[in-house]
Amino acid sequence: MDFDTNNTMPKREAITFSATGSEYFRIWIVNLLLSIVTLGIYSAWAKVRRNRYFYSSTHLAGSSFEYHGNAVAILKGRIAAVVLIGGYNIALRVSPIVGLLMFVLLAAILPWLVWKSLQFKLYNTSYRGIRFGFGGSAKEAYKYFLWLPILNTFTLGLMTPFLHQRLKRFQHTQSRFGTSQFSFDATVGSFYKTYLLFFALLLGGLLVLIFVVFGSVFASFAAHANDATKVGSLMFAIGALYLWAFTVLPLFLTMIQNLIWNHTRLQQHQFQSQLTWGRTTFIMLTNLLGVVVTLGLFAPFAHVRWLKYRLEATSMLVHGSLDEFVAATGQQVSATGEGMADLLDFDLSM
Amino acid sequence: MNANTQESHAPLAGRYFDGHSSRLYHVTLSVRDGVAMLAGDIERSCPLGELHVSERSSHAVRKVSFPDGAYLEIADQAAFNNVLHDTGHRDGWVVRLQQSWRGALLATVATVLALWLSYQYLLPLVAKGLAYAIPQSVERQLGQGVLDFLDGHVFEASKLAGTRQQALRNQFARLATPGDSTLEHRIVFRKSKIGPNAFALPSGDIVLTDEMVELMPDDDAIMGVLAHELGHLQQRHLTRRIIQTSAVGAGAALLFGDVSTVVATVPPLLLDLKYSRDVERDADDYAIAMLRQNGIALEHLAQVFVALGKLDQGTPYLSSHPASTERIARIRAAQR
Ligand SMILES: [Zn+2]
Repeated sequence: MDFDTNNTMPKREAITFSATGSEYFRIWIVNLLLSIVTLGIYSAWAKVRRNRYFYSSTHLAGSSFEYHGNAVAILKGRIAAVVLIGGYNIALRVSPIVGLLMFVLLAAILPWLVWKSLQFKLYNTSYRGIRFGFGGSAKEAYKYFLWLPILNTFTLGLMTPFLHQRLKRFQHTQSRFGTSQFSFDATVGSFYKTYLLFFALLLGGLLVLIFVVFGSVFASFAAHANDATKVGSLMFAIGALYLWAFTVLPLFLTMIQNLIWNHTRLQQHQFQSQLTWGRTTFIMLTNLLGVVVTLGLFAPFAHVRWLKYRLEATSMLVHGSLDEFVAATGQQVSATGEGMADLLDFDLSM
Repeated sequence: MNANTQESHAPLAGRYFDGHSSRLYHVTLSVRDGVAMLAGDIERSCPLGELHVSERSSHAVRKVSFPDGAYLEIADQAAFNNVLHDTGHRDGWVVRLQQSWRGALLATVATVLALWLSYQYLLPLVAKGLAYAIPQSVERQLGQGVLDFLDGHVFEASKLAGTRQQALRNQFARLATPGDSTLEHRIVFRKSKIGPNAFALPSGDIVLTDEMVELMPDDDAIMGVLAHELGHLQQRHLTRRIIQTSAVGAGAALLFGDVSTVVATVPPLLLDLKYSRDVERDADDYAIAMLRQNGIALEHLAQVFVALGKLDQGTPYLSSHPASTERIARIRAAQR
């Protein structure tokens, strides 16, 4: 699909997110209680409720999204996942060889499960009555989720930015909305640039901290070895290291998410992501603090805050009209992959 | 509630999508005689029974879906709620619970209660069952790793004479044990950098430090210490504790997945402190039973804690083993 160059200026449609922490807290706590008393069985229904709430609260150009996932399908997926993981742990206990065999088996089916989970997730999302979808072949799934990651371990991780670009390209070019395909044009070079900048900043900051802060701490230690207040300054120096890591990591997340979405298109419509470092860091740090101080009760508020910021920083430059997408013919997608990915805590979506 | 009130509602504005294309149709919805009717860019009617209404919520858009995948978004929530109410639509009890603050408060209290009850009663029961079910080879590996680690960091070879070590082992081996199952165990002597200490590892190793042997007033007191540690072994205390701690950790990680590492490690550590008080009492009871069976006066066991109680506070043995005075009182009470 090429650009409508003859068209007028694109119309900028920002995503808005109307969910609130207080409403999600009530949904979350009821879901949590029911999940606990049913020994986890209700968690599949909880997931459907949560997703329905969040999707229906996400608006683009006046219309909201919709989640169609079926709780029984998710439950089946979760049971399969528990059996697989439990089987792996038991196999590991029986003997290292059986454990290794089970590991190989898991590695062999995991890419397929991840692929299925992407299909399930997108197929069960709709906007304006049109469902999303995910194509791709099993062969590609094995390439991106198994062979390339294995290969990457032999390059001491030097291939990681390349792998990341290929994964995102696979994910975004194989996604579709109805019959319309998404496209992705971020280069491998831009991924390397982002990773390099991140590492340069991280290392540079660490070196400065080590030489300046630790240097002065050690110097004062050498001067009066038994001074109790010096322990405090050492703690402060270690705290500074953590703080630096917590500051640079959000920078990386911000840059990579902006890079990915600024190079994603749905036909002629361009996405735009404008996360900022300062705001991301502030939200992440205060969320962490809030959750720790409230012993977890702040978690749903934190979740909504982060989601709201991330979603509302995203917009779509609409060239023409959003009225012309056409639904694809439906297909059934199994939930096994979805449940598995959920339990293993893979979040491949950005 | 009745047919008359239904008709009194003004038609509601809505956005309709047909499920085949993303085209937006502006319509109005009105309900008459159990049938929903759309008018505007498209005309359509459908019996209420075939429609699906999404759950109530104050901040998400409410949708009405038709059997063929078409749906309607209604902007005016309040007016729509009135229509639903009058057509006899009722939210499920989960939704009603979610929508009220009283329900949420109730759920919070019930969740805390459920978590506390399962921690207090369910988890120990499950951990106990699991600990007895775990094959001994697995337990053995678990304990061996710990002893190797301690040998590398905390312990040196014992300075006790080999004959003295063997004499203590023989003396303990001659004692009858309460209950019918005798667990395989091994008494290991070590010189420690952390003072008097004794503990039992899941591998079946009972570790006794030289300092502990020297601290004890007589050999019968040493037998008391060993009996106490054998009690820990017989009842799989350490294995149960490891299972419980990792279960709490895994549970916390599941609940607060987003910030797992920080939050997940705190609760197990806090909760763990309480656990040892109960198991110490159990191990003491085992030692009491064992000494009694062999005709050794319980006062020897009491003297163990008298000796330990005189030590400086802050010894590792004392911090994991609760108040000596309380335990001495229990042992002396058992003697009477
Ligand atoms: Zn003990």
